[in-house]
Amino acid sequence: MEKKSSKKFLIIQTSRQVSQFFFFTLFIYLLLKTQFPNGDYIGPVEIFFHFDPLLALITFLSSHIFFAAFFFSLIAIFITLIFGRVFCGWFCPLGTINHFFSFIFQKLKLKKRDKKFNLINWKYLLLIFILICSIFSLNLVGILDPLSLTFRSLTISILPSLNYAFNLFINLLAKLKLNFIADSLVQFSYHFTINSHFHQGFFIGLLFLTVILLNLSTSRFWCKYICPLGALLGLISRLNLMKIKVNNESCIECDLCSTNCSGQAQPFPNEEWKITECIYCFKCGKICPVEAIDFKFEIIPRKKSINLERRKWIFTAILGALAIPFFRIGPSNKRSSPQLIRPPGALKEEEFLKRCVKCGECMKVCPTNALQPCLSEAGVEGFWTPRFVFRIGYCEYYCTLCSQVCPTGAIKELRIEEKVKIKIGTAFIDKNRCLPYFNGINCIVCEEHCPTSPKAIKFVSIEVKLPDGSIKKPLAPVVDLDLCIGCGICEYKCPVVDKPAIYITSIGETRSEKNKLILEGKF
Amino acid sequence: MKRREFLIKSIIGGTALSLNFPLFSQIKTFPDLAMVKGEDPYKITKRAISLLGGMKRFISKGDVVVIKPNIGWDRKPEQGANTNPQVVKAVIELCYEAGAKLVKVLDNPCNQARRTYARSGIAKAAKSAGAKVYFPDPRHLKKINLKGEWLKEWKVFSDFLETDKIVNVPIAKHHSLTKLTMGMKNLIGCLGGNRSQLHQQIDEVITDLSAFFKPCLTILDAYRILIKNGPQGGRLSDVKLQKTVVAGIDYVAIDSCGTTFFGLKPEDLGYLRLAYKRGLGEINWEKLRIGKEKL
Repeated sequence: MEKKSSKKFLIIQTSRQVSQFFFFTLFIYLLLKTQFPNGDYIGPVEIFFHFDPLLALITFLSSHIFFAAFFFSLIAIFITLIFGRVFCGWFCPLGTINHFFSFIFQKLKLKKRDKKFNLINWKYLLLIFILICSIFSLNLVGILDPLSLTFRSLTISILPSLNYAFNLFINLLAKLKLNFIADSLVQFSYHFTINSHFHQGFFIGLLFLTVILLNLSTSRFWCKYICPLGALLGLISRLNLMKIKVNNESCIECDLCSTNCSGQAQPFPNEEWKITECIYCFKCGKICPVEAIDFKFEIIPRKKSINLERRKWIFTAILGALAIPFFRIGPSNKRSSPQLIRPPGALKEEEFLKRCVKCGECMKVCPTNALQPCLSEAGVEGFWTPRFVFRIGYCEYYCTLCSQVCPTGAIKELRIEEKVKIKIGTAFIDKNRCLPYFNGINCIVCEEHCPTSPKAIKFVSIEVKLPDGSIKKPLAPVVDLDLCIGCGICEYKCPVVDKPAIYITSIGETRSEKNKLILEGKF
Repeated sequence: MKRREFLIKSIIGGTALSLNFPLFSQIKTFPDLAMVKGEDPYKITKRAISLLGGMKRFISKGDVVVIKPNIGWDRKPEQGANTNPQVVKAVIELCYEAGAKLVKVLDNPCNQARRTYARSGIAKAAKSAGAKVYFPDPRHLKKINLKGEWLKEWKVFSDFLETDKIVNVPIAKHHSLTKLTMGMKNLIGCLGGNRSQLHQQIDEVITDLSAFFKPCLTILDAYRILIKNGPQGGRLSDVKLQKTVVAGIDYVAIDSCGTTFFGLKPEDLGYLRLAYKRGLGEINWEKLRIGKEKL
């Protein structure tokens, strides 16, 4: 009888590990699949995000639009109502990463016993803060949402680092005269588009590293004290049916279950168990020496739960409301930033900010690495939202991938016919640096690469006086404002490599009414 | 040479000619240029090569062959910005039939390589014919002496150097700086580095490159030609159906012949004038023996 019980928890534990491994692999697989699919349309590679009730709730509150794909998040809510926070313990990729590193740190004896901090309420307060902000249309969820955080960190920091290491390895192979292996590996690596140059790659990587290293102080530090999705699922799981049952008769009060709990849920004593904190990893069941622990479905709600002091959460809510003006006093609301060139299909700036969750899907899928996380170009609110940096890449004319993978519709899904008509900015020529204009040399690389038909860059014959007084008549580029869509390939390919002689600014972008250059329509 | 020697040699030579050795006469009857028109790009390519005497004339058994199509742009075949995939496929098949050990296909495109390779249809067509499709690997770039009159040193993909033969398979297109881009300009795709600087002396660069690489065979795909907004076009109205393939060894003659599809003269193109002056080929292509056929 006793053996049977321990076997049961062994099976449950193993299936939890299998589930964690499976969903983490799926997450990585979809991450790697978020690239040019050798065709025009990519599948639902962003599906993970649609199961995230936090993203669904916050983007709904801030934009007042429920993005249809988020109906999947109801499944997550439904599961939580029955089984509790299994999402955290069984499915969440960041949870898996934290769990894995906690385990490794323990095995390597880098940490002994989990410290207990009295910080459980933090994540609820953070959730309340984010929630209140979203009610006032400020969407901050992306910074701390675990899926956004993981995807963004992997895309912007981890994959580029791995790519760099891969190149070092290839160079090493080449030095060892193993060129055949090196060549095959390089050709194979072309099946993956790894964007390898990102602004803030170091910073975002450092934050991710911090999340991992926090596991040194206590396992799953992030999940216990910070994760706002965990907090939301915790609140939902107050109503959940699956509950722990400690058999007080056989319990020897060793406290092993509470010391080893991954969620600081306090299985012992039974009345103290916090239903909102249990992530259903079933460690307690397996570790219990007398098999006194069991989980049962029970309709009667438990009284004991987290104690959010009313004073504190009301204070946080007020703080949230007060914070909004602080986010909005930057100059970006007064005038569009010239460097803020959004992906084609991006909604109007206000709407865009309400929906963008800074997940980095668009930056991963961009075939040329041109989409980069904002620092201050879009204000504090737009931190880590995407913008084009045309010195790194350019917007590929027939590509609509970023609009297809955006999980919240901040970038409207476009068909290719629609996309090629959308202006994201306008090209300008710096005649002081452009070779034909200032030195009479033929060039017109920009004209050659201009992808529109007819071309938005035309050239005219001009007269240039050279330093020796002679006159040359080269062909020089001019931009047709009606045709230029601001794709930036001219800036990218310009042979004046340090500071290009042709560059894009955001003016004239289709999505904005204010940021216009030429008068349109009839009056 | 003494008079007697001369007389003896001419008698021997004359007899040899009049005896009509089968091999000798066969080479003599091969045209310098083959120009085939027809509905199917695959068939006209094969026919053009067989008019030239078959691929065996150019490819020897056991050769490693690099085929250099134009895969420069993220465009579909019907937009006429890249070499027709069916033409590439036919050339690969012929190379293998002639006994080539390995046929490689690669280009250094202007747009992102993965997109151009896939959307041009060339990667798929080439793989189906058994060729190895390589993406340009920046590690293979080698700075070499190109022995040009103007272009002395530049980075070249070693795939084009460490090979027995290069077969150039360009497409005929409009280009605003050089007016037209065909076989000779296509070789810029063998280069790496900051290629956009080459525009400053484009005619000289193109001439130097052709003299350096000396493709053993050039097959100009003029099935769809881009008559405006080159070199990438976009609209179908930029494309004209010419339904022709021109093949031969003399790349100057082929490009000169190509100008006529656009209503231009060979002398209109700077690099053709230059190449002719340097004796790289014949600009008066009509003087050559031309094998014309319509399928």
